[in-house]
Parts: sequence; structure tokens; C-alpha cells
Amino acid sequence: MCDITKEAVFDAISTVIDPEVGFNLVEMGLIYDAIIDDDCNVHVIMTLSTQGCPLHQMITQWVKEAVERIEGVGEVDVEVVWEPAWNISMADENVKKALGGV
Amino acid sequence: MKQISSDFAPPLKLISPFFRFGVIFYALAMTALLFFTPDFHYAQMDIAGWVHLFLLGFVMMVIFGAMAQLVPVVLETGHAVVEVYYIIMPLLLIGSIVMVAGFWLTPVLLPYGGLLVLVAMIIFAVENFATLRKSTLKSLTVDTVTWSNGYLLLGILTGFAIALGLAGEIGIHIDLMLKAHVYAVLGGYVVLTIMGLSLILIPMFSLAHGFEERAIKWAFKMVVSGVAIVFLAALTGFESGMYIGYLVTIIGIFFYLWQIYLIARLTVRKELDIWAKSMLFAYGSLMLSIVLGIVYFLNDKESILHASVWFLLMGFVASMITGHLYKIVPFLVWFERFAPLVGKQKVPMLHEMYSKEGASMFFWFTASGVVLSGMGLLFENGLFFKAGGSFLVAGAMFLVMTMEKMLAYGSEKLEIRN
Repeated sequence: MCDITKEAVFDAISTVIDPEVGFNLVEMGLIYDAIIDDDCNVHVIMTLSTQGCPLHQMITQWVKEAVERIEGVGEVDVEVVWEPAWNISMADENVKKALGGV
Repeated sequence: MKQISSDFAPPLKLISPFFRFGVIFYALAMTALLFFTPDFHYAQMDIAGWVHLFLLGFVMMVIFGAMAQLVPVVLETGHAVVEVYYIIMPLLLIGSIVMVAGFWLTPVLLPYGGLLVLVAMIIFAVENFATLRKSTLKSLTVDTVTWSNGYLLLGILTGFAIALGLAGEIGIHIDLMLKAHVYAVLGGYVVLTIMGLSLILIPMFSLAHGFEERAIKWAFKMVVSGVAIVFLAALTGFESGMYIGYLVTIIGIFFYLWQIYLIARLTVRKELDIWAKSMLFAYGSLMLSIVLGIVYFLNDKESILHASVWFLLMGFVASMITGHLYKIVPFLVWFERFAPLVGKQKVPMLHEMYSKEGASMFFWFTASGVVLSGMGLLFENGLFFKAGGSFLVAGAMFLVMTMEKMLAYGSEKLEIRN
């Protein structure tokens, strides 16, 4: 049985910051899910704010590396999905406020 | 560990000279304005010299540099042969200087400068077509890149024919060829490229999502058709056909403006940074340019046409380009110097990589200069025109300084680390 929690994975990913907007990926609402199996392998499901993002490969790599820093973690893989498409309602209130969305 | 592909990101040293020399040409073009008066004819050689200094030295130079980075982003594939940009840069640089010297000093130089520019643009277009063949992506922006490169080739070929004609090498109808050349380059390449890229970049930077794309599809079809009609009508001397082409193009641009409005309604980021201010000024100028263009067709006063073209070039095209420079250049520098440090040490945000004050000074001096000089052209008032020119020179100095600072950001730390 693995004792790594989804919260721990989200906490790890929250160290990854989008350099364009200045917020971390978790508070931007870009991380949809983290599935952890019994062997502590982690499957992260995330999206990006735009499909043409030139940082696409780097951001997924940063997410992978951030999760790999969790003690006892097994294999980590990151899946980028476009459905549901990201929108500002998925972001935390502080992000919405800072961007002027509310 | 999985290796991060660098296919999508050409090295900074390949792209930065395009931006560095582009803004220097911009500053030279603004300085040259101080030696002009607002009463002129568009076919004058000194005016043609200024237009080429601005369009080749600044607009094309920066667009080519930006395309080196943006084509892979848009097409979602790496360049076919990205190294050709090392050849394009000096050819375009020297070709632009020789062409401007040809217009201002002696027309004998024009074919030589024209040939260098022709070769640079053929290499650019062929590399773009080769990259397009690699891409499996089907999108409106991909179509735009294809058509705009086709028009670029037609534009540069007609331009080279004009250069040979002016140098007395061949006998051609320069006036008709000039209209075809201007329309293919400006409408076919510059405007189409801006339309296509803005559909990617504006939603990306403003975080707008879920907008309809029907208007831009119509805009694209109308502008492509309008340019083709004007180009063919100009070459055959069919004047009524040219007016039909102008009308079709203007309708296309209205559709484009409608699309931008649809995107703007869904914009999440409300911050009025240098990019957002530049976009507002650019689209305001484009609308003013269209209104002045329509007024010109109704009363045929040449000063109105001059003001319309001024707001199109300096208000719309230049603002679109410079506004995006404050987004693209910090990203390229960050990608090269700071991306490898993510997770290991604190890295700067992109907006921290340029001087806000310098960018703000650039914007306000430039916007004031564009409006003042535009009024000078409209009312043929030399005082307004020169006053605007002075503002534009001041603005250009801030652009050059902020560009140098952006390109140098983090380079000292990199040297220490190495």
C-alpha cells in the first residue's frame, strides 16, 4: 500500500510556476487529477492554458521532476489533455482576482 | 531522464540579431522622418527609400526573427533547416542597406540590394514551405502561413523587376508593377501574417478561450482573394478590378476586427501592460486607417491617403510588432538562460525581464508621435509632422535601450556559471 496522497502530489506540483502569468500550475487550475497506484506510481492528468504553448514540453517535464522529488515515489508520467478545455473558472480566487477575471 | 526536445526553440543567438538590428533600423527610420516634409508623392525615390528602410529593415527583419521562433509553435513541428536563418540575416541586413542607399543616393545600387533581399526572402519562403510539408497539422493559421509566403514570393519578384526597371536594365510599366508589389508585400504578406499569428498570440497572452472562429475564416478568405484581385488587376492595368480588390480586402479586414472583438470579450487578463496598450493602439489605428481610406476614395485628396497609410504602417503594423517584442524577447531569453534552472533556483518571471518604465516611455512617446505626425500628414502641416517625428525618435531610443536590456538580461550570471 502506498502512503503518498493526492494532496502531496498537488503540493509538489505547486512549486512549478508558469513564468508568463506568475502563478503555480495548481492555483491556475491546470492540474486535473493525480492517480496513485499501490506501488506509488503517479499518473498526472493536466492541461495547459493554450494548445500552442511553446513551453509545453518543458512544463510537463517540470511537473514530472517535481513529483519525482516526493520521497518513495515510483514511476511518474504526465498526460496532457485538452478536454475539458481550461478556462478561468478553474483557477483559484486569488488568480482570478489578480488577472482581473472577477 | 527524458530529454527535452529543443526542436521547437531555435537558439537565442540565431534570433536575437533580427530583433537587435530590427529596432536599430526602426530608430534610423524614425530619425529619417525629421528630414521629410508632409507634402510628397508616394512614388518619390526618397519616400521609397524610407518605406524600404522601415519595411525591410524593421518590419521584415523582426517578422523573420519572430517566425524563426513562432513557425514551430504554430505548425507544431521543428524547422526543416533552422540554420538558414544564419544566412537570411546578413543577406537581409546588407540588402536593406544597399537598397535604401539605391533609393537615396544612386538607383544603380537597386538591383544589387534587390538581389540580396530576393535571395534572403526566397530562402525564407522555401524553408517555410519545407517546414509546412513536415507538419501534419491543418488549421487556419497554417493556411495563412502558406498563402502569405506565396504572396511574399510574388511581392519580391515584382519588387526585383522594379529595381531592374529603375536601374534601366529592363523596360517595364513601373507604376502598375509598383501597385502589384506594394499590395502583395503589404496586404499579402505583412497583413496576412499578422492576422494569422494574432489568432494564436492574442488569445495566448490574454488567456481568452472558447471563441467562435467563423469571422476569421471569412476574413482570411476575403483578404487572400482581395490581394489576388488587386495583384492581377494591377499587372494588367485593369483599374476597376483594383477597386473591387480593395473593397474585398476592406470587408475582410472588417471580419478580422470582428474576430478580435470576439476574442477581446473573452479576455481573462485585464492588466494594461505594454502589450495590451500596444494592441489597443494598434487596432484603434487600423480602424482609423480604414476610415481615412474610405474618405480618400470618396474625395480623392492625396493627403488623406498618406494619413491612412501612415496609421496602417506606424499605428497598426509597428505597434503590433513592438508590443509583441516585449512578450517574445523576454520569453526567448528566459527559455535560453533560465528554463534549465527551474526547480534548482529562483528564476525571474517574464514581466520582470524588461524595464516597465522604459517600455512605458517608449509607448507614450511613440503613440503621441504617431498621432501628431498623422495629423501633420492629414493637414499637410510641417510643424505637426516634425513634432511627431521628434516624439517618435525619443520613443525609438527607449525601444533600442529596452531591447538591449532584455537581450542582456541574465547574461552576466550565465558567464559566472560557465
